[in-house]
Amino acid sequence: MNILEVQSLYKSFDAGRTYVLKDIHLSVEEGKIYALIGDSGSGKTTLFRLIAGLEPLDTGTIWIKNKRMSDETRLVPPHERGIGMVFQDLALFPHLTVSRNISFGLADHDDDKVKEMLILIELEGYENRYPHQLSIGQQQRVAIARALVINPEILLLDEPFSNLDETLKQALRGKLLTIANRFDTTMFLITHDVRDALAIAEKGIFLQDGEVIEQGPMDTIFNNPQSGYVRSVKHNLTRSAEHILSKLGG
Amino acid sequence: MTGKWGVGKLFRRFRRDFSSWSAWTLLLGMIIGIPVFTIAVSLFNGPGQMWGHVTQHLLDDYLINTIFLIIGCSLLTLLFGVSSAWFVSEYDFPGRRHLEWILILPLAIPAYITAYAYKGLFGYLGSIPILSRQAGIPFQGIDLMNLPGLVFVLSLALYPYVYVSTRVAFLRQAGRLKEVSLLMGLKPHQYFFRVALPLARPAIAAGLMLVLMEVLNDYGAAHYYGVNTFTTGIFRSWFSLEDPQTAIYLSAILVTIIFALLWAEKWQRRKKSYSLTAQFSTGNHRIRARGKTKAGIAGIVLIPVLFGFILPLGQLIYWGVITWTRVLDAQFFQMVLHSFGIALISALVTTLAALMLVYMPSWNRLQGIKPFARSATMGYAIPGAIIAIGILIPTLAADKFLIDFMNEYFSINTGLIINGTIAVLVYAYMVRFLTVAYNPVEAASLKIGKHLPESSRLLGSSRPGTLRKIELPLLKTGLVSAVALVFVDVLKELPMTLILKPYQVNTLAVKAYGYASDEMVAEAALPSLCIIVTCAIFIWYLNKLTGT
Repeated sequence: MNILEVQSLYKSFDAGRTYVLKDIHLSVEEGKIYALIGDSGSGKTTLFRLIAGLEPLDTGTIWIKNKRMSDETRLVPPHERGIGMVFQDLALFPHLTVSRNISFGLADHDDDKVKEMLILIELEGYENRYPHQLSIGQQQRVAIARALVINPEILLLDEPFSNLDETLKQALRGKLLTIANRFDTTMFLITHDVRDALAIAEKGIFLQDGEVIEQGPMDTIFNNPQSGYVRSVKHNLTRSAEHILSKLGG
Repeated sequence: MTGKWGVGKLFRRFRRDFSSWSAWTLLLGMIIGIPVFTIAVSLFNGPGQMWGHVTQHLLDDYLINTIFLIIGCSLLTLLFGVSSAWFVSEYDFPGRRHLEWILILPLAIPAYITAYAYKGLFGYLGSIPILSRQAGIPFQGIDLMNLPGLVFVLSLALYPYVYVSTRVAFLRQAGRLKEVSLLMGLKPHQYFFRVALPLARPAIAAGLMLVLMEVLNDYGAAHYYGVNTFTTGIFRSWFSLEDPQTAIYLSAILVTIIFALLWAEKWQRRKKSYSLTAQFSTGNHRIRARGKTKAGIAGIVLIPVLFGFILPLGQLIYWGVITWTRVLDAQFFQMVLHSFGIALISALVTTLAALMLVYMPSWNRLQGIKPFARSATMGYAIPGAIIAIGILIPTLAADKFLIDFMNEYFSINTGLIINGTIAVLVYAYMVRFLTVAYNPVEAASLKIGKHLPESSRLLGSSRPGTLRKIELPLLKTGLVSAVALVFVDVLKELPMTLILKPYQVNTLAVKAYGYASDEMVAEAALPSLCIIVTCAIFIWYLNKLTGT
């Protein structure tokens, strides 16, 4: 079953002179992990913001669980969409403790729920710290816990790996897979690094200059690339892997 | 691509983008726009009876004096402001750290009070000529009660606007650019003229615009020195010639001059809005001044402080000491309370309006609402006398209607209900000083960014809820700065207060002006000192709070 449908979506920020997203069609299956891949400026973050209801679209329709969320004349507020989002800069509230950050989306502060989340993100004992007292990896996990605590149907993650070193990236990938299995949440992550997408996502959507150029299972896309962009990405990836292997072999 | 747009669809889209916040923004913008709208509409009533007299005998004088003031004050404030900003940001010399913020202190003395003090300092019977003659130096004093004198006094009072913006610009550009220039063989003065000054030009121009806005707004100093300017002309037309239409026509010319200046500033800045990225800011390495250079720099930087703050303050303290027994009474303390109370209420109301104007437009998606909200903060560019007239005309009309209505239907003679109330005065301050509050609130809001409030919205908080729980705690510095800045401005404000204040209420500024007008300038010292001390404390606190 599709949890998210996007049809004929267009978005412009300059009254239609240039479109940052053009004729986008997407079908997202429930419970799967998706990666939205593209270069900087390809429209990835804008697409996320439209899905989350943070921006109105120009034309087209966004459906979530068969409910029309956005079109030319309608914009359902973000909190009524069942979406959790982790921003690239994490957007943790700097004046609130870890515990208050996590419980922010709950109607009432729920100690048990916060504790459950802290165990999940392996930050027990950090509940009274402030975001600036945490490492970047810990902050990232708090941001994920805060988005998860409201039990979202879809979790949007904007460049979750961008500020992390290789060790932290590996740990986060493992954590995200655990979360996806445990919460049965549809996960949608933005990345410009196709290696991150290959490591975690089941399905991929490639965006170039505001248009979807390929979408489907990651292995299918890479085994039979249809666009020059994906072919070049695959070529670069293979060469880099060969280079590393030759170094290791040497 | 965008499909067909029927009227129905356009209406539904408008419904999507329009919210109650759009309505509140429009309402607030319209309330703030009443004075300007009134002046604009009143122009269609044609010139008043005295317009011919004014154009024949006075208009040339107003125009020439105003242009002389603009040019003279520009040159002097640039000289004082840019040179002191350069030396404190580039050189290390004894007392630099203290001078950095002491150079701002002349802002604590309203220009009209500096003008009073200078008459007491350099007039024939002034303190300096008397002290000189006692020391055997035959110094007869300097007559400053003329146009060049006014230029000198206004420049001393207002150069800190240029100093503050220029110093920030110099400090931001310091670092790698200077290192590169010095590596290429540029000497410090060559670096100043070829790199630092061109880069700081937009900031210098922005500071200069604030100076010119204040110069064109000034009434107290020009009136006291007997110089005819547009602002004194507006007062004369309204109160002496009793011709509001002529006052409105003069206001329109003055507003045209102001908008021409604003346009010129924007034009010169069109391709020169440099933004220096963090990579260039490697920290400032000041040149340690030695020997004669050290003394020379300290001397140059001390000149504006000495003439803009220490000398006038000394004269006022002297006057205060010899007059306090006559001035200090229960009424004085009541006046202090009135002044502080009105300033505080106005500062809170203005900051609240600024907060609403920063946030409400971003809470709805109606196109054009943000520029509309921004345009509502143009009051600072419009002289207080014009805003006062723009408020008097509709409020007098409303009062007349109410008096007639109450008389006809209830046979009650109510007198003026709206005019002469503190509410009207507070409203006028809000219109005039909205931008003073808007800028720090907007800057603080931009610093928060959009992701924090968006996270809050995604987690189920309403917009006001997000403002209360997330944004307000983070806006604290911006809000405190806004309240303090408006408080200081209201405390110093004269022309609008003179026109709109309630009859039985006196403020420190009005009292000081009253004494000076009645040839009791020494008695003006105590109310003036109250304003100066309060403003100096606020300026010191703001400097500490924001670091600029």
